[in-house]
Amino acid sequence: MSTATTAALELRDLTKTFSTRERDSVRAVDGIDLLVQPGEIVALLGPNGAGKTTTLDMVLGLTEPTGGSVRVHGQAPRRAIADGRVSAVLQTGGLLRDLTVAETVRMIASTYATHRGVQGVLAQADLATVADRRVAKCSGGEQQRLRYALALLPDPDLIVLDEPTAGMDVTSRRSFWSTMRADADAGRTVVFATHYLEEADAFAQRIVMMAGGRVVADGTTHDIRAQASGRVVSATCDDPVTTARRVRAHPAALDVGLEGDRITVHSSDSDSVARLLLTELDARDLEISSGSLESAFLQITAAPEQEDGR
Amino acid sequence: MNTTYARLELLRTLRDYVSLLFIVALPAFFYLIFGAAQDFGDARLGDGNVTMYIMISMASYGAVVATSGLGGMSAVERMQGWGRQLGLTPMSDGQYVAVKAVVAVSIATAPVAVIYVLGAATGAEATAAGWVLSAVVVIVGSTLFALWGLAFGLAFRSEAAVSAASGSIVALGFFGNLFVPLSGTLLEIARFTPLYGYAGLARYPVTGGEVANTSGGPPGHDALWTLALNVGAWTLIMAVVTVLLVRRGRGRQ
Repeated sequence: MSTATTAALELRDLTKTFSTRERDSVRAVDGIDLLVQPGEIVALLGPNGAGKTTTLDMVLGLTEPTGGSVRVHGQAPRRAIADGRVSAVLQTGGLLRDLTVAETVRMIASTYATHRGVQGVLAQADLATVADRRVAKCSGGEQQRLRYALALLPDPDLIVLDEPTAGMDVTSRRSFWSTMRADADAGRTVVFATHYLEEADAFAQRIVMMAGGRVVADGTTHDIRAQASGRVVSATCDDPVTTARRVRAHPAALDVGLEGDRITVHSSDSDSVARLLLTELDARDLEISSGSLESAFLQITAAPEQEDGR
Repeated sequence: MNTTYARLELLRTLRDYVSLLFIVALPAFFYLIFGAAQDFGDARLGDGNVTMYIMISMASYGAVVATSGLGGMSAVERMQGWGRQLGLTPMSDGQYVAVKAVVAVSIATAPVAVIYVLGAATGAEATAAGWVLSAVVVIVGSTLFALWGLAFGLAFRSEAAVSAASGSIVALGFFGNLFVPLSGTLLEIARFTPLYGYAGLARYPVTGGEVANTSGGPPGHDALWTLALNVGAWTLIMAVVTVLLVRRGRGRQ
């Protein structure tokens, strides 16, 4: 196992540029710094084309970075793969349709010097009953569990999941995540990419939001909501004009709106705005709401594109 | 050598009965038409006869069709994401190529065995050493064409690549002097093509390097070293090309 001082994952100024025929080059990953500690569960959240998969490919040594560095438990990616420190469940594809489930596991197991045992991972991925079924005849959920079983073989310290539940129905999605959670509780570091907000919110302790090849936000789901829009304080008041004037002067008030006798304040510090309204301005029917995570997501991921004028 | 992986691969290939039938039956059929059924078969050539010469040619063709086809198929499977899956394991590119080559050569043994048995039953003649050595060269040398199929598949990145690889083998078969004896300029060009060196080397234990000539002149001659150089050079070229293409295949497609 790693020492406490070594990060499970360390990305420094990571970049990846693809050259294309039409244009000179496309910058898929544009300078990412990221530190993940052992035992963390981190979601890489972002729209399609945000650079999530390219980033994970570099973490796994499947693609060479154009610039910057990747360390997995202090090792270069290919080294970490060879030592079984990191493994992954990749997006669709990646299975031989004419092998059975058990044969597939045996085949991949044979590439490791030591592994956890074919029967063990089949049981853990809940595949024991379909072990002799051809991969081609397995459902999408079963195929995904098979990829997960393959990823468990080296007993990795870090497991990377790229859109792990894409194409699954609600039931298999739920059961997949409950298996993953048990795994994470046992101390494994989990980094997964998703564009499902609920999934990131429900499963990750930390969300790293990506857009346009960059990290645009990094924190707990709570932090992300706050970072995007703060909170909204609204109240009814007898003298809307005076109240609005007083609230606008408050340093934490970002935006103040009036509709009849109802005042709405977007604020980075909802508590102090609420206190002002209730104690000094005789406001009533006060409500505080956080912006939805959905709107936070849209607001944050849209930002860098506007900067670039795209 | 990862024997578990090779064994499972072999099992998987043997399950594909239809492909297997074509790999084994078609070259055997060619031998019966072009070799056993011809009336010039008893003419002497080196330490053997013409039937033996044609038998080795068709066995070479059969082995090469098998290995190039399997090579092409493995390229297709890599493109369908298996390459990325293997990229997550300690298995090196070299190990992968080695396993695939061993499986392809094992399969290639089937058409060669069938054709040699047919040959023995239909009048092919050579010394004992001629029989054994030619078979060994046919089987071992067919590795080169596993790489050939693999390179085609990896370079063109589609299932059509497998057909392209097979087509190229037929063309190379003509240049390799397998179907029709060549002469003149065409023969000079043919000497630089991969199937020529391979088939020539396989026939060498029987013919001593004599090249059949149907245009009336004296038989041509190939030195052992030129044939060996041909095979060695093409093996090296294909090995390097394949490893480079495999490395490229790990990225997303």
